[in-house]
Amino acid sequence: MTLLGRRSAIVLLLVGVLLWFVWSRTVQPQPPLMRTALIMGTLVEIRVYDQAGGEAEADVNAAFAEMRRVEQLFSSAIPSSEVVRLSAATGPLEVDAETARVLKTGLRIAHSSAGAFDMTLGRVKALWGIETDHPRIPSESELSAALVGVGPDSLQVVGQLVSKARPNLVLELGGIAKGYAVDRAVELLQRKGIRSAAVNAGGDIRLLGDRQGEPWRIGIQHPRRADDVLLTLPLVNRAVVTSGDYERFFERDGVRYHHIFDPGTGRPARGCQSVTVIAADAMTADALATAAFVLGPVKGLALLQGEKDVEGLLVAADGRILKTAGLK
Amino acid sequence: MRERMKLFSWLRYATPLDRKLLLAVAILVAVSFALPLRREDGAQVIATVQDRVVFKAPLNIDRTVDLQGPLGTTVLQIAAGKVRILSSPCRNKTCVHMGEVHQDGDVLACLPNKLVVHVESKTLAGKTGHDFVSR
Amino acid sequence: MILSVAENITLEQTRQRVFLALFVALAVVLNTLEFLLPNPVPWFRIGLANILGITALFCYGVRALWLVNLCRIILGSLLVGRLFGPGFLLSLGGGILSAAMMSCGFSLGRKRIGPIGVSVLGALGHVSGQLLVAWLVVVRHPGIWLLLPFFLLFAMISGIVNGLAAHFLLNSLAGHAAFRGLRERLDILTGQQPDLHQQQSGN
Repeated sequence: MTLLGRRSAIVLLLVGVLLWFVWSRTVQPQPPLMRTALIMGTLVEIRVYDQAGGEAEADVNAAFAEMRRVEQLFSSAIPSSEVVRLSAATGPLEVDAETARVLKTGLRIAHSSAGAFDMTLGRVKALWGIETDHPRIPSESELSAALVGVGPDSLQVVGQLVSKARPNLVLELGGIAKGYAVDRAVELLQRKGIRSAAVNAGGDIRLLGDRQGEPWRIGIQHPRRADDVLLTLPLVNRAVVTSGDYERFFERDGVRYHHIFDPGTGRPARGCQSVTVIAADAMTADALATAAFVLGPVKGLALLQGEKDVEGLLVAADGRILKTAGLK
Repeated sequence: MRERMKLFSWLRYATPLDRKLLLAVAILVAVSFALPLRREDGAQVIATVQDRVVFKAPLNIDRTVDLQGPLGTTVLQIAAGKVRILSSPCRNKTCVHMGEVHQDGDVLACLPNKLVVHVESKTLAGKTGHDFVSR
Repeated sequence: MILSVAENITLEQTRQRVFLALFVALAVVLNTLEFLLPNPVPWFRIGLANILGITALFCYGVRALWLVNLCRIILGSLLVGRLFGPGFLLSLGGGILSAAMMSCGFSLGRKRIGPIGVSVLGALGHVSGQLLVAWLVVVRHPGIWLLLPFFLLFAMISGIVNGLAAHFLLNSLAGHAAFRGLRERLDILTGQQPDLHQQQSGN
């Protein structure tokens, strides 16, 4: 004390109090647990807010494992998947209950969208090869050959028995499988007692509960400006899926060829730039977004309006924005 | 020598303790410039070919991707939070020699193959204050 | 002049008060002057007003320093019309940390630290305090610390400039009768022979 003197002791105390103040201000509320993984060819991010530490970590890993299991069932690129098995089948095939459930949901939306959502476009998709290194524009005759016999009526699911109208029908569940995987992950987290979490599979999002008492703030990607959002949605307990022509595409002679095909023509649907669907589950939102995108802004809006507990936002090819009643 | 004398002539007004203090502060300033605190670590990697975004990925997941440019395939590697170009079809391989980068604003470029890779510290959701962006 | 002991103390106190008031007034003037000057780089300020704080410190001690600097900040902000705004908070944060650093340096390095050392410490405290407040109140963004090296460099330079100014001010004040004892204290610091400073004592 004699070394310092009374005044400098007071000053030191003051500095100490100031440092303590800074420290106390900088200590954040418990940060969320954030984990990322590559599943289904896209980046999946899971955030858990209400629990942290080892237990939630294990739950998140279990959720990733569940999504990988779903990928094994529905990926067209995995030879042992149910989808590849079904595509190769020449007669009726018994599938597991889970596959039957996804196919039934898909068929329901295929019928309600008058075939705009189509799970039988495997051969069309293969012709374009948009997700490969060498995409190309197929000829008219190739496309019409690939479109023979497609449509919602070409597939029937009775119990767990799936039958195709034509043996060479190739299934493609890209428009629904990712949403289903997200749902499975969220349901698993919920079963583990987590009440505040989010799963984001490359922009297909499902939210569990709210974020620390506040709604989640979800931005909708601007379809033409990569570094901008169209609008912000405050959401609780919802799934949000956007289908856009900017996600996966290639360009030839200034024309953009994207990955969402119109089952009527076998070519990329031209009515919309993007469609965002907000629903209770990601599987429904995923399929409906694809369906509305193919239908175009007017019919697409009508489809979404007709669905119970579903809201949506469509950006037409000319940039016009259409919203369902609940979003206005 | 004369110039230096002039430049530091004010030092004669400083006490010995002042001079020691000045030395310490000068070292502090030098160290602060050398500290990595100058820039934030990046969060995501964005690759463009001919000004079009062809690849976007977070820095914290290791992966290797092939990127197509007009000359051919450039191989990009993300490992241990850093990005580098593994191989390139260009002649001089400047891009490969640029080594690893990981900080906000860092750039790797292969101009012959029209490829530019840059590191950003924030995703779109982070920049616009959202939890997530649906796309 | 014949004065009683009691009167002598009162006179000394009055003198001190008058000079401190003068210091505060001068500090506010310098503060305002600097505010009015064109500023090429926002945020960077030389902090000329601190010259008076340092002078007060060497004349009357730590308490005088706090008095001059705090009064200067409050009056100065009042004068340029930004009392209690974010700019005021920045000034206050910088001022408090600056005064704390200077008091610490002055007390710990008693009789060995000179105006230049104190001034550099004060300038460092000032920029650190400002950055701290800016980070806590204005922009909660860690990117703000990217500015720290530039601020530190600037603080060092402005600290030296202000310290030199304070040094010369103190030496000219030391010649005045009102600052008895200051001459001796300064000579102890610099370790210089008294003949370098022509004594012009009016005693």
